[in-house]
Amino acid sequence: MRRVYAAGVGLLKVDERWEQSIDSMVTQVVDGLTEVRPWKIDSIYVANAVGEVLQSQANLGAIVAEDLGLVGVPAVRVEAGGASGAAALLAGYQAILSGLADTVLVIGVEKLSDATPEEAVFLPTLSERYDYVGFQGVTEAAIAAMMYRMYLERYELPQEMVAQFPVLMHEHASKAPHAQYQFKTTLENVLSSPIVSPPLRRLETTAPADGAAAILLCSSDALSTIQHEQVVELAGAASSTDVVFPMEREDPLKLNAAARAYYEALARPGISRDDVKVLEIHDSYSILASLILESIGYSELGASGLDVKKGIYDYGGKVVINSFGGLKARGHPLGATGVYQAVEIFLQLTGRAGACQVDGARYGAMVSLSGLGSSAYALIMKER
Amino acid sequence: MHAIFRPPVNWRHRRFRYGLVVWRCLNCGAVHQYATRICRRCRSNRVAEDRLPDRARLVTLTVVKNPPVSFEKQAPYIVGLVEFEDGTKMLTGITDCEPEELKPGMELERVVRKIAEDGESGLIVYGYKFRPVIKRR
Repeated sequence: MRRVYAAGVGLLKVDERWEQSIDSMVTQVVDGLTEVRPWKIDSIYVANAVGEVLQSQANLGAIVAEDLGLVGVPAVRVEAGGASGAAALLAGYQAILSGLADTVLVIGVEKLSDATPEEAVFLPTLSERYDYVGFQGVTEAAIAAMMYRMYLERYELPQEMVAQFPVLMHEHASKAPHAQYQFKTTLENVLSSPIVSPPLRRLETTAPADGAAAILLCSSDALSTIQHEQVVELAGAASSTDVVFPMEREDPLKLNAAARAYYEALARPGISRDDVKVLEIHDSYSILASLILESIGYSELGASGLDVKKGIYDYGGKVVINSFGGLKARGHPLGATGVYQAVEIFLQLTGRAGACQVDGARYGAMVSLSGLGSSAYALIMKER
Repeated sequence: MHAIFRPPVNWRHRRFRYGLVVWRCLNCGAVHQYATRICRRCRSNRVAEDRLPDRARLVTLTVVKNPPVSFEKQAPYIVGLVEFEDGTKMLTGITDCEPEELKPGMELERVVRKIAEDGESGLIVYGYKFRPVIKRR
């Protein structure tokens, strides 16, 4: 069995980058991968969710290959909504496992600050069926809000049991230099922020963000031929899909695609979820943090809020979630987000997480969603 | 951003949007809002046209306060999930009432309403919404 390694990473601070376009963000982030030069790249995967709508720019494979001075290298854009970055990583993982590639450059890039507020609402909703959902003016946030209401009613919980997730995320991001929002917040602030769609509040969602992140994946053969300082093994990766509209699922509060992807990914290295000490989850809405943690088995149903209160998901707990602030506070540059998650796990497992460092983690994992769980990707990374 | 509503798309969906004509699986009963030859739930190819009833019960609701493109002038507006007597659940706009008047379980009736007007082409798009049942003598 071939093995897949991450031999170098780069990321930009998630921000509003008014002076930069997609190409300049890509070249800047790849320039940060200096430790692994010189390269021989077999394939490039560019994750991007909405560039053809917002920047009127499709065909990012060829464009990025040229931007990087790598004309001739096969390159393609990967789109899977908010999970595009994770989908590109899975494609790179499969390319190396297949033996067809020894070195794969995976780049996630998204530029959302070009959007008007109405476009910023419209774009994530593209992941739902437009002819059924978007057509009626229903937003992704509105569907998340209905799931949120169902959750609070079913388990008879006060809203703070979900709304404390953003507080924890901002706490983590306050020590992360690349996070979009490096300030702490309080439960009172979250619960008094403007209502987006009741019960969902502004501080339980994400804001438009620009970002780019990159990872160089390689086979064990290639590892001996390239310069590198630190290496992490990409020990497992998997994906799954679910009924697209959450309310048509057997249980709208169970993210089955996330559960299937996560357990299949864990099975590749044959580890259990308790071996994972650093976990990046897709908290584009606070309620998704609850639903993911309960769906993949870290918390009992309805008990993820209680577990946050117990400190289970914080430093010193069972598993640290979103150690750099997650989608909520590190930021959610849609198509780049999955690559950020993987880069952050790399930083954790190589001891380069700075003030966000989780000690003693041998395995890290990520769960990335498109839409509200209609597809899910999971990756497992192992210290080497 | 432009051309969110295109005339051919609107025309294609007219029967569902104006009359709740759906495609129902004769094997498992699943409903599709678009013409299909394969049931998306059980993969049966026995799918036939059907029409959803004009009344349904409210399951849950929320309000869109931050609207997407083409809905700027309408916000805030109510959207919700309704359930027909056969168990089919459907997403819908809810009109002619305030959110406080709506309680899960209450009966709603279908109306045809203007959905939006596209800024670029001026296309006026109609479709279904639901409202609290108006008692008739």
